[in-house]
Amino acid sequence: MSARQDNSISRKLTWMNMLVSGAALLLACAAFIAYDMLSFRASIVRNLSTQAQIIGSNSVSALVFNDQQSAENTLSALKAAHNIMSAGVYSKDGKLFSWYSRDPGGHVPEIPSLPSGQLQIHWFRNKEVVLVRAIVFEGKPTGTVYIQSDLEELDSRLQRYVAIAAIVLSVCLLAALLVSALFRRAVAQPIIQLAEVARAVSREKNYSVRAVRTRGSGELTILIEAFNEMLAQIQENEKSLREARDDLEQRVKERTAELEKAKKEVEDFSFSILRAKEELERGSKFKDQFLSTMSHELRTPLNAVLGFSELLTEERYGTLNERQQRYVKHIHTGGNHLLTLINDILDLSKIEAGRLQLRFENVSVAASFAEVIDTMRPLADKKSQTLLQQAPPDLSVRADPTRFKQVLMNLIGNAIKFTPEGGEIRLTASQVDQAVRLEVRDSGPGIPVKEQQRIFEAFYRLGETDKKTEGTGLGLAITRRLVELHGGSLGLESQPGSGSSFYFTVPCAEVVATRKVPVSRKEMQAADFARILVIEDDRAAALLLQSYLTSAGYDVVLCDQPGGALEMAAELQPNAVTMDIIMKPINGWELLSTFKTDSRTAGIPVVLVTIIDQPATGASLGADEYIVKPVKKATLLGAIERCLNQRTHIGQRRPILVVEDDAPTREFVAELLSKHGYDVITAADGAEARSRVATSLPELVILDLILPEISGFQLLAEWRTNSRTADLPVFVLTSKDMTPQEQAYIRTHTGMLLHKQQPWQETLIAQLRRTLPGVLSEKS
Amino acid sequence: MDTLGRRFGIRHDPLPNFQRGRFPLAGVVVALAFFVTTGLLAQQPKPSEYEVKATYLYNFGRFVKWPDTVPARKGDSFPVCVLGRDPFGPILDSTLAGEAVDGKPVELRRISKKQDGGECRILFISSAEEKNLKEILTALDESGVLTVSDMPGFTRRGGMIQFVLEGDRVRFEINLASAENARLVLSSELLKVAASVKRSGRSGD
Repeated sequence: MSARQDNSISRKLTWMNMLVSGAALLLACAAFIAYDMLSFRASIVRNLSTQAQIIGSNSVSALVFNDQQSAENTLSALKAAHNIMSAGVYSKDGKLFSWYSRDPGGHVPEIPSLPSGQLQIHWFRNKEVVLVRAIVFEGKPTGTVYIQSDLEELDSRLQRYVAIAAIVLSVCLLAALLVSALFRRAVAQPIIQLAEVARAVSREKNYSVRAVRTRGSGELTILIEAFNEMLAQIQENEKSLREARDDLEQRVKERTAELEKAKKEVEDFSFSILRAKEELERGSKFKDQFLSTMSHELRTPLNAVLGFSELLTEERYGTLNERQQRYVKHIHTGGNHLLTLINDILDLSKIEAGRLQLRFENVSVAASFAEVIDTMRPLADKKSQTLLQQAPPDLSVRADPTRFKQVLMNLIGNAIKFTPEGGEIRLTASQVDQAVRLEVRDSGPGIPVKEQQRIFEAFYRLGETDKKTEGTGLGLAITRRLVELHGGSLGLESQPGSGSSFYFTVPCAEVVATRKVPVSRKEMQAADFARILVIEDDRAAALLLQSYLTSAGYDVVLCDQPGGALEMAAELQPNAVTMDIIMKPINGWELLSTFKTDSRTAGIPVVLVTIIDQPATGASLGADEYIVKPVKKATLLGAIERCLNQRTHIGQRRPILVVEDDAPTREFVAELLSKHGYDVITAADGAEARSRVATSLPELVILDLILPEISGFQLLAEWRTNSRTADLPVFVLTSKDMTPQEQAYIRTHTGMLLHKQQPWQETLIAQLRRTLPGVLSEKS
Repeated sequence: MDTLGRRFGIRHDPLPNFQRGRFPLAGVVVALAFFVTTGLLAQQPKPSEYEVKATYLYNFGRFVKWPDTVPARKGDSFPVCVLGRDPFGPILDSTLAGEAVDGKPVELRRISKKQDGGECRILFISSAEEKNLKEILTALDESGVLTVSDMPGFTRRGGMIQFVLEGDRVRFEINLASAENARLVLSSELLKVAASVKRSGRSGD
């Protein structure tokens, strides 16, 4: 290693010397040789030209007097010139006159004619030079001389030069080698010594050695002195560093001990945090489980209470006296209130826990208004309040339809509650940029400024001391959260004494095209559920009727032109027709009589829906049902159902299987189904359901998911994998709060998913009608 | 076929640098021009005996130096004369037409009197004048006229240049002594190509 490094710098110096002198010499030699070769070539041509001239002038007479012998004698003199390979004399017409060739067997070339004005041309080719010269005698071209010479002389000259150059070069390099040896002693040796010392210092960490100083005062001497000085400084620094390090070591030891202690504390602390977090997570999990259980456990008995009290009021199983009637009503009202309270609490908990998932779609504001007002009108009627609404017909919002209506109902409910008798409540909608602003304004007493902020808090009730109003105190809190989940905000403007206004915004949806009357008869016949034609020239009223009927599973066609109604009905052949009386240009009475006299439409049942209270006139003209506006949904659906049942004559089919572990609920569902004309069998748990389906395939299954031992999910999976039951229609009716994955699974594998916490009876019946259009039995 | 191959061969021979590359077509053009000229010449009939003799006749003038004492001729021309019956005919006229010797245009004269011969530079003596030869040569003595003839024994009898035939080929003999008597200097080039040269009255080769 040492030897190699020793050699490194001196070898570089040697190489440098050799390379520089070698390159200079090579270039000089090459230039000199090239120049000499060029000039030598020129002299060869010159000599050749001279020889050609001599031959030419000596051949003139031979040419003129056609004496070839003489010319050959002249040419044979060239034997003395060894470089001439061949030569020839040509007559002026280009014919060969005489020829000389050094080596026997050379071929005689044709002679190229000289360019005019030129006496001689020459050219070099592969190792030879050729010269052609004209013979001019007395100013007249008499013939041509051709002479060809080899370039051996040139070659040997070049070889000589190369040899000389090689010798000079090697001598010079030798000299350079000697010179670099001298340099090495003067320059490289001190540097190598310096490097040796530096290596010793870095290897042995011995800062006390010093480099040997050289004679003289060049940069090298300065370098060595500076190096020695540096070593001295390093030696000193190292000493103080060692002292500092010893001190530092002690301090580091102390600090490490302290840190160890602190670390242990932090570890203990983070462990306790971890445990706290686990506890929290467990708590949150318990809370979720509790919510889910509550929603199931509280609603199941309430559903039974509400369902059966409703059935009792219908007096299907014996009449009730007036007192019983009142008590049952109290039970129903109380139950309803309790259900609202439970729903509110669970809703709020779900919202707070971030578990409420909204299903956004385009929702028509006008239709929602109509539905909400229809629901709330009885409450307002009770207090003789005026309920007004105003909404552009084509306005739609992007919202979860159920939650959107819930918000509206909460606000209207509040307004009805806090507005004295005879007051006015106004519901308006208007588009503001890309959002819809909805407002519920009442003529109530207004809200004191200091309470305006607090009323949105949960469990806060306005006028706590005033016990006149009932409520959960959760409505506004839930409403505000729901509006916020829709991307809007809920606000309040109120002045005591001049009413209150609650307003909120929801994002706008694209304008939904209104449904046009389908023209294809074939398409209409393809539909397999009952079709209702609504003849109504008031758009809002028509939309309301449509929403009621659609929600019950009917296919609704609107007709706002009474003039064309007869033809439309004759073509569509709907299962029933609803008809307004006050219409233009033809009023309902006239239209009804044309319907009943036209043979194509006489058989279609007609329900008159009007504000004119003349049922007798209607009956005399042939109307099947008569409803006085404002229309209640139940009334309308009841009337339609009666009309349709007149015409349905379907034989007994297979029954519907109700799988439900809660006995009251099971009985209530069975009762509800048989009330609507369906045959029912029941199963109290999964095992029973399994054997029921195995023995006899039901028409359809209504399945609860939470069952003892075998769950609804399990049953569903079993049925779907069996080819016999793969297509068995299944409706799920449950109070379980499901994850999105569970919901998706249920939606793919069943025909319907119903939640018990929401009103589900009407939806179930409507869906049954769609799925099993002909299973109604005759007994109803 | 052989000549054709050779002619095409020139195209394969490497050409001079100025012809190659810069004028790639030039080589072909030159070769074609050469082919045409040599072809035409090759088809010409071999020149007749008197055609060759006519050419030689005036070309002798180019290899002879006349003494300065010969006076300048009329019109500064180079007279070439034929004495006696003319054996050349019109060939001589056409051959000499437009030629010049020593920068002077060649002038052809046909003469019949020997006295007129002194005016000429070159005098061709017809073989028909054989019997008068002695008088003619005597008359011309020292007048600086180059005497030429094809009569046999011309040089022997004192003439300077005599045409002889070697087979088909036309050659000539020279009597150098006669020329030197007339103070004419004959070029060594001319002597070199002569069939024989007589010096000092003796015949020799």
